Amino acid sequence: MINQIILGLSTGAMYSLVAIGLVMMYKVSGVMNFAYGNMGMFITYIIWWLSSSMGVNLYLSIILGIMFAAIMGVSVERYGLRPIRHLSHGSMLIVTFGILMILEGLAVEIWGTEYKSFPELISGTPFVFKGDFGIVVLRKQDLLVFTTLIVISIAIAIFTKFTKFGIAIRAVSENEEVAGYMGINVGSVLGFSWAFGVSMAALVGVIAAPKVFVSPTMLTFYQIQGFTAAVLGGFETFTGAVFGGLILGVLEKIVGNYISEGFKASISLVIIILVLVFFPSGLFGRKIRRRA
Amino acid sequence: MNRDIKDITIKGLNVWYGPVHAVKGIDLKIPAGSITTILGANGAGKSSTLKAIAGGLNYTGTIMVGEESINDLPVYKRVRNGIVLCPEGRGIFYQMTVKENLLAGAYTTKNTNLDLIFDIFPFIKDRLNQIAGTLSGGEQQMLAIARALMASPKYLMLDEPSLGLAPIIIQKIVDVIKKINESLKITVILVEQNTSVALSIAHYGYVFENGKVALSGKASELAGNPIIQEKYLGGVRK
Repeated sequence: MINQIILGLSTGAMYSLVAIGLVMMYKVSGVMNFAYGNMGMFITYIIWWLSSSMGVNLYLSIILGIMFAAIMGVSVERYGLRPIRHLSHGSMLIVTFGILMILEGLAVEIWGTEYKSFPELISGTPFVFKGDFGIVVLRKQDLLVFTTLIVISIAIAIFTKFTKFGIAIRAVSENEEVAGYMGINVGSVLGFSWAFGVSMAALVGVIAAPKVFVSPTMLTFYQIQGFTAAVLGGFETFTGAVFGGLILGVLEKIVGNYISEGFKASISLVIIILVLVFFPSGLFGRKIRRRA
Repeated sequence: MNRDIKDITIKGLNVWYGPVHAVKGIDLKIPAGSITTILGANGAGKSSTLKAIAGGLNYTGTIMVGEESINDLPVYKRVRNGIVLCPEGRGIFYQMTVKENLLAGAYTTKNTNLDLIFDIFPFIKDRLNQIAGTLSGGEQQMLAIARALMASPKYLMLDEPSLGLAPIIIQKIVDVIKKINESLKITVILVEQNTSVALSIAHYGYVFENGKVALSGKASELAGNPIIQEKYLGGVRK
């Protein structure tokens, strides 16, 4: 049971990372990025291509890939979304759908549909703990995911709470127009949120790649689960995204184990519906009493 | 405090919202160091004029600070040049703390010293960690003004600060506006529907009607103008 929970938490931590990126983009720019998973997929392909075909060091490839992800995020926001910002929310959603299909088509065209293997960033024998509680196995890969999630969560908490730009991000997410009148360059905050979001997608791609292999649809499932995690958390807070992901991961594992593997994917869709009906602002949605 | 405050001059300002012509070729002069009020009914173009000065919407015409046009500057650069708008309906960041609101206001400056704010708004000192959305209406309005002050404005535009507040609170805000103008030497542009309050503290006034300037002059003269008395002061001379 403990092992199941650890495995669930490990998968869940991945969903949390996906959700953090989605929430950052949604909170600031108000757009749900449907192309998120495919952006991460495309960058992972580039990293794979750099390291396996071009002979670039794997870690350098990852750094270059994430830099490229940031540039991709800024460009999509600046040239794909901002020109139609004044039109409607729906039109921006459609742009992200378009990007989703373009990237998938490009990936198939350039690299084909064949699965490519991607090296483990960390490998080795798992840690095994024995005791009254039974045997607990902790894989090194799990450790990597947990560490990444913890580092990123703490970094975001400090960044949004204590830095000027972090406060600007929250100001823009709450009231874009007024934030502008405070002298905050709204455009650069929007750009940043997308640079951060797409970088998260790339990071998720790199961590997931050894397990799911590099393919045009490698992150589709993660995108759906990350979206569910974000909905669970209310889509507004990073804390919600983190815990939403972890809860979903464990839930999925338990359902897969005790009911049926086949329900693993559908459970997230059921959760989305239940949460939206019964807890529209998420399980952790906070209602701030607002006067006058 | 030696800060070069200049006149703001506006020539032929036009603002359109789609097919709606909200501001129709307005000329304004805001003398340096003054409190200048813009009066008028709903939809007269007052707020649109302020937003145009702040750079928050598209307009035609020329807005000059001193002899220089600021037409090409985006909002945030205008704020850096000391042109700060405190928008209508307060627009504080409801989910952030009072302190975070103030820091957001100080975004363009290195100023994180809150002593000046405590001096003008003593109540803020004890409320720094309160979530701003839980303040009362009057406190929210004062926080909005305090936040705008954090940007070190030379020209402060206040859009209906008395909206929806009790007379006793309005009096407090009036005192604050006077203090800001007199001791901080900040030019204040005050948009108001509360005509008697506005004319009591302003040096100059403009009356807008349907996107045009209907009347203008010294505040004391406007207060004595029979048309103003009839239309905006309910026919009663205070």
